[in-house]
Amino acid sequence: MAAELTREWSDEQLKSDDLSKKDVIKFIQDNAAHSFLAEHKLMGNIKNVAKTAKKEQLIIAYNDLFESKRFLGSEPIEDVTEHVKNVKIDDKPKEVVEVADEGPPKFFKSVLKKGDKTNFPKKGDNVSCWYTGSLEDGTVFDTNIPATARKKKQSKPLSFKVGLGRVIRGWDEGILTMSKGETAKLEIEPEWAYGKKGLPDSKGLDMDQQRLYFLRQLKKFGMPTSVLSKYHCAIESIMAW
Amino acid sequence: MALEQLSDVVQRCQAIQDDNYTTEDYSVFQIAGRTCLEDGESAQVLSIVLDEENKNIVKCMGWNLLGPLVQILLKKEENNLPPHCLVILTHLLEVCSPKELLVGLLEQVEEAHPDSIAETVILLLQPLQKVLLRLGSRKASSVGMALSTLLDQVARLPVPQTKEQEEDDVFSLCRCCSALLVFVRPFVEEAKQSRTPKEDELRTELLKFSMKSLCEPLLEVQLKDPETLAESPLRNFATEILGILSDIGESLPDLLSHSLLRRREVPGFLEEEVCYPKESLACLAYLLFVQHIAMDTFPTVFSSVFILQCNMEYINLFLSRTEESRLQKGLDLYEKSLVRVEDNSLPVQLMELKSFFSVPQNLVKVMTLCPIQHLRIKGLKVLQLSIDKFDTEAKYKFFQCMLKTSHHAGVEGYIIKNIKNQIDFAFKPDKGNEWFMGAHLFPLLRQVLCLPQGPETDLLQNLDRVMESLNLLRYLLIRDKAWRNQTGIWTELYKIEDYYMKPLRTGLNMSKAHYEAELQNTKDNSKKTNAKESQTQESVCSLTVGNEKMPNMTPEMQLQVLHSALHTFDMMESVLARIEEIMEVKEEP
Repeated sequence: MAAELTREWSDEQLKSDDLSKKDVIKFIQDNAAHSFLAEHKLMGNIKNVAKTAKKEQLIIAYNDLFESKRFLGSEPIEDVTEHVKNVKIDDKPKEVVEVADEGPPKFFKSVLKKGDKTNFPKKGDNVSCWYTGSLEDGTVFDTNIPATARKKKQSKPLSFKVGLGRVIRGWDEGILTMSKGETAKLEIEPEWAYGKKGLPDSKGLDMDQQRLYFLRQLKKFGMPTSVLSKYHCAIESIMAW
Repeated sequence: MALEQLSDVVQRCQAIQDDNYTTEDYSVFQIAGRTCLEDGESAQVLSIVLDEENKNIVKCMGWNLLGPLVQILLKKEENNLPPHCLVILTHLLEVCSPKELLVGLLEQVEEAHPDSIAETVILLLQPLQKVLLRLGSRKASSVGMALSTLLDQVARLPVPQTKEQEEDDVFSLCRCCSALLVFVRPFVEEAKQSRTPKEDELRTELLKFSMKSLCEPLLEVQLKDPETLAESPLRNFATEILGILSDIGESLPDLLSHSLLRRREVPGFLEEEVCYPKESLACLAYLLFVQHIAMDTFPTVFSSVFILQCNMEYINLFLSRTEESRLQKGLDLYEKSLVRVEDNSLPVQLMELKSFFSVPQNLVKVMTLCPIQHLRIKGLKVLQLSIDKFDTEAKYKFFQCMLKTSHHAGVEGYIIKNIKNQIDFAFKPDKGNEWFMGAHLFPLLRQVLCLPQGPETDLLQNLDRVMESLNLLRYLLIRDKAWRNQTGIWTELYKIEDYYMKPLRTGLNMSKAHYEAELQNTKDNSKKTNAKESQTQESVCSLTVGNEKMPNMTPEMQLQVLHSALHTFDMMESVLARIEEIMEVKEEP
């Protein structure tokens, strides 16, 4: 099972730009043991690993793999059954697994506060988050943080199982790159968020947004505020068309 | 007389120590007391009850006067308010044992006369609240019992259907619901505060209450949107119930996904059914996604596909029923859940889930069997919407499934039209796919171009299906030029001729011959009967619709039907001929 793999790439080849990070990661993911990957933080979606891992780290990992010979299938039995057990649990309720399309990640993360950098969630783990959702112009459309929440009755973080397609994809992928305690800003493109249609109609926000936009446009054209407030009513009826 | 008896028994009992009253004492007190009250001697009763000397007696026996007091208060006429009765009641509520008072009050609620359910409930809500609050930390199960009894009664009230009915509130359901909210408020506040195990019991009782309300009356209610009815007590009730759920710590997303994610092996299974009944959760989903109640507290981050999955269980529940209100709710919920999803995005793996199979089956039942026209129309609209949301492979599988299972020519015809649209779409540049253009197309076409009983297939009954199949075939031959043969239809054509076109041609000929003969027969018969006296003919069969026997068809009507059948065959034949024409043209060099 643990076939002796031969080194394909020399150190020079590894360092060169011809060999992409993704290629190295793919090789290691395909051939290294489960625990090796976990230790070197090389688990999960290749694109995301490429974002967080530096080339030097990968070269080190590559060399390490051949030195330690911790190839796939070389692990003691317990590890394998652990892996199988995890797969079984995923199977039980018929979850729909998102078909991962090959392509660049459709979100951008900026870390606002570092986490412990050790505890990263895996697919299927339960995570809890405090969050605020805003549009590009800064309008907050959703939050569970008590100080800013208007109509929230309880102050509990949002708990769910990550990586199973239960939340928007930007979250499913983005949260996997966050460690416990981290605060980050995720800017997510429409395809991994709410699509071209935008936020689901909650009989509140969309109309308000449109109304605001309308009023802003009128203001831009020099309409005085006193007149604008009168137009508010007119706008309501136009919106109803 | 009664007053004397009452005074006597009270006097006698004053001397008794340690509350050792006999059953007879109780009995006399109750009967005499009741008679006094009914006779209008409430002032005297009041003075007896308030007398310090009688404190213990009243504490033990007072609750037996609840019944008569409540009956009097209910019977009160406009100008004849019994002021003393109310004072007596208030006093009793304060001094008697809360447990006994609770029993007495709930008895009154349960025995409410059908004509005065609302009045009884509204009268007794405040007394009940007072008594329950006196129970202190042991109140949970009593609160639960009270809420359950109250809801049982409120559920008997007719639910307003129209805006006017809700405004008029003739049967006072709206008043009762609003009063119930006031009643339950202090208990919710209490459950909100602390985290002790005792409070957990109270939370459970409030959960059961909320769930029960979601079933009755909320499942029956037809909520009107704010534009139609600005102040709606029922809408308010729904909003508050969802608010209570949040207050007691139930997360709306967790509730929604309960049916989907719940493991079967949860211990205390029965408790689950009571605490999270599927019908109530279905109502919750409906209120959230169709009526937008409490939607501003529902996190936006959940993926629309996940929400759809959760809701399918409930949609299936609604669509399995036959009542108009249930079906309407199911269709609306399905529609609203689908609209959130991007077109062409639902993956084929979803088709493996049971609910994704059952819902379309139920939808077909609605479309074909439901007597209410607007529901049938809506059913079809939602079916098309669901098709639009599947990705290509899922559409393919879905069409296959529908052709196999719907057993209805109209539905099959509709599906075949959809197949044609998908093939048409696949012709567009960059839109080709293996399902409606490549290798998989022919197995599907084989299913489409098929006569279930060969040449003996009833062509009239299968009219919709046959016409759509012929249209599809004609379309393919025109659209896909023989020299390009993108779909491969031209190579398959000789097979299709064999298994489809030839038997169809035979069937058509047979049917036409048969109907032409019938036509001739009928014409001959009618000539004969015209000569005779006009008597009703003996027909071979009679038709009864809704207990009314339909009149026999007149000869003119029979002729009309036969002509129309022949016309249909002509239609089929003309398309078939056109197809053969196109085939011949191709053969020419």
